[in-house]
Amino acid sequence: MIEMSRRHALSATLGLLGAAALPAGPARAAGSMTAAVYPGGWDEALRAVLAPALKQNHGVDVAFEPLFAVDQIAKARAARGVAPFDVFVLDPGPRVSGMDLKLFEPFDPSRLSNRGKLPAGYADAVGAGVAAQVVGIAYNPKKMEKPKGWADLFRPEYAKQLGLTGFGTTFGTISLIEMAKSVGGSEENMEPLFEALRKILPDVAAVAQPAAMPGLFQQGQIGLMYTNTYTVTLLKSRGVDIEFAVPESGAAAFGTTMHIARGSKNIDAAYQYIDTMISTPVQSALSQAPYFFVPVNTEVKPGADVPMKSIDDLRTFVTHDWTKINPQRPRWIDRFNREMAK
Amino acid sequence: MSERGAWRLALPLALAQLLFFLSPLLLLAATSLATDENLDTASLAAWRDVLGDSFHRQAVLNTLRLGALTVLATLLFAVPLALLHMVAGPALKRIILLAAVLPLLTSVVVRTFAWIVILGREGVINSTLLSTGLTSAPIPLLQTEPGLILALTQIEMPLMLLPLIASLGRIDPALLDASASLGASLFRTLRRVVLPMALPGLLAGATLVFASASTAFISQSVIGGGRLAYLPSLVWQQAMVVFNWPLAAALALTLMASVLAVAAALSAVGRKAAHV
Amino acid sequence: MSRFAARDKPLALLILALAAIGLLILIGPVLIVLLTSFTTSQALRFPPPGLTLRWYADLFDPARSAQIHVAAGNSLAVAACTAALSTALATGAALAISRSRATWARMAEGGFMAPLVLPGIAYGLATLMFFSWLRQPPSFGLLVAGHAMIATPFALRTIGASAAGLDPALLESSAILGASPWRTFRRVVLPLIMPGVAAGAFLAFVSSLDNVPVSLFLSSAETDMLPIRMWGMMETSLDVRVAAASGVLVAVAFLLLVVMDRAVGLVRRMAG
Repeated sequence: MIEMSRRHALSATLGLLGAAALPAGPARAAGSMTAAVYPGGWDEALRAVLAPALKQNHGVDVAFEPLFAVDQIAKARAARGVAPFDVFVLDPGPRVSGMDLKLFEPFDPSRLSNRGKLPAGYADAVGAGVAAQVVGIAYNPKKMEKPKGWADLFRPEYAKQLGLTGFGTTFGTISLIEMAKSVGGSEENMEPLFEALRKILPDVAAVAQPAAMPGLFQQGQIGLMYTNTYTVTLLKSRGVDIEFAVPESGAAAFGTTMHIARGSKNIDAAYQYIDTMISTPVQSALSQAPYFFVPVNTEVKPGADVPMKSIDDLRTFVTHDWTKINPQRPRWIDRFNREMAK
Repeated sequence: MSERGAWRLALPLALAQLLFFLSPLLLLAATSLATDENLDTASLAAWRDVLGDSFHRQAVLNTLRLGALTVLATLLFAVPLALLHMVAGPALKRIILLAAVLPLLTSVVVRTFAWIVILGREGVINSTLLSTGLTSAPIPLLQTEPGLILALTQIEMPLMLLPLIASLGRIDPALLDASASLGASLFRTLRRVVLPMALPGLLAGATLVFASASTAFISQSVIGGGRLAYLPSLVWQQAMVVFNWPLAAALALTLMASVLAVAAALSAVGRKAAHV
Repeated sequence: MSRFAARDKPLALLILALAAIGLLILIGPVLIVLLTSFTTSQALRFPPPGLTLRWYADLFDPARSAQIHVAAGNSLAVAACTAALSTALATGAALAISRSRATWARMAEGGFMAPLVLPGIAYGLATLMFFSWLRQPPSFGLLVAGHAMIATPFALRTIGASAAGLDPALLESSAILGASPWRTFRRVVLPLIMPGVAAGAFLAFVSSLDNVPVSLFLSSAETDMLPIRMWGMMETSLDVRVAAASGVLVAVAFLLLVVMDRAVGLVRRMAG
């Protein structure tokens, strides 16, 4: 009863505030759902390609909430484990966080009619892979020779063009791990990385937030960074002088996955949403201009900048075990802060 | 509206803050004293980490220093601009007012790009310096404290300039003429006539600029970069990437307490000056 | 500044020079954004290789920028409600504080400023945690309340600065002449503190319009907010429409300023 009156009083207050403009939280109609989506390119692509396909195939309306992966986890966690949307879209790091926090419904791959078009292991009891990301080195061909591998980033002529980002993102973390490996370190031993970074630090062009990197690159502050093929292709298509280099040790790859949020009331629609996302027409449209996704559907051929002929090649790429990385990451982040501080 | 009943006018804000600010704040404080956000186990670990660690202490000092330097920098330009506005004709007045609000109209998102353009290695300032031969190599500005302060000066200037203009707007121009015709120097007129009137606006502006500059997370992290450690970026990192919410809460409360202490001091000075 | 004597010239010149540099600092970055918004390049670039209006056409295109329009509508609605709420709350509090010399007033003044100095991310996080505990999902009302908490200190400070200059004798004489409190407020107090109120409302409006951290936690799929959308456009593809959106805002503000100038002049004449 106390609970009820507390809710009631508060609803009245909030309702009063909201009444002026919009109804607070409209009820969800049958055949509709809400999905989190990365802001920017993903948001545009999924609204333009996936939403109409879902409507056409299943009569389901989808509303998108633009949130980066870590923001989705933070928001679900702050809301006591109940996400305000039905489907997550995540990178491996946040995916493992979400599993630890039990933010997902159990996933049944057999409910995806298109699961046969995914490589083995791309749909499991947690969720399904919907796109791949290939990480390597991005450089400005007008300013330097193509770098050969991760170790080149520590050479003076490259270091003075280098823009560093920390362990805050998935691509940043795996790039730094690969850089550590190139100077004798490993997933367990990052010490050689920090030692090598300390030597080049006075010369590096910038240590910045990932969000600032495209601007820094475009305006010539940096000419070298680590990123994924998706970003390189997107920027290149917009006239930025940027090329992707596959390191000698191989490009690193990881899957972007979708998950159904725990307590979702639109589970059927959520499965239909994910199934449509991996279907051949949608994956094919998303892999082309202006979206440039790396497809996971084996029937779809990856774009020109993606260093593979089909998604099956993905097995030969460098991969990482995020259940091992995640526990160490807070320590690496803290260490990176301190090493970088002037 | 008697003096005794006046407190009732503050009641709506007080109630709103109680529900929408103080309650979440208390939850934040509780979180900082627990091992995680479920609040099951009490722990002082987060506070030990904030107060006992030299890196975090340094970040507190860096943040307060950034706020203070930004206040001084905005004062340096806002006071002359407000004075000019006071004596200017209607056309110039309008130009100054429009310039004063311009920074608020460019979204924080695109503003960060403008500052990369200005401060970068191949940016506006460096190419000007290079072409005029003042330097032979680009000087580092982006991701340095002076560069960040310059950017914050633009971004925060409206918060200083608008209250100043409002305060000075109440000065009767005849008063200035009278002061001048009585033989007072410009300096004396400014000190004896203008400054007392400007003081409330000036202190209001200083408080706003200090608070806003020391919590300007996006400008600090994008223009300041990863080599300058400020509390808001650490709060963001602990909250959104590491998911150590007790530490994020403790860092946030530390920032809040230190900035509030400065704001309270400014306000005390203001009341003293206003009532003397 | 001709009315000042020769001995004052150096100081007057220094003031003028600093004011000029101040104008340059204020306007320079905005000019860069505006110039960039006309670029012929496909991505944000300065200096622009050529000038075109296509990004403005793109921005207003109902099909290509549909979601930007939705987000802009949401952001404007939230900002307008926030400005109204913040200004009302702040005006009351500012009058109360300026009228009293008691200790509570000083403490309240400090306390009311507190939301300004809590990092937005921490506030957004804590607010979502608290209202989830009360089983209140994010809604339009909660979003406005959250924005208003952050915006009110701005309004309180500028309105407070105006209210501090009110002459108590004026209010007393109005009361003695038999005016009701409301009439005193409307006819005596409000005109005097109007510059502060207008500045406060404006600051609350733009602070809400540009807020990222609170919206991040308190917005939902129904309230897609413009700054978050622009952040994504900027980060992934250096989308020039981000600069064009700022160009539109500057143009609108310019028009508003001219209109308000006329309107305020009109009001002044009517009052006189």
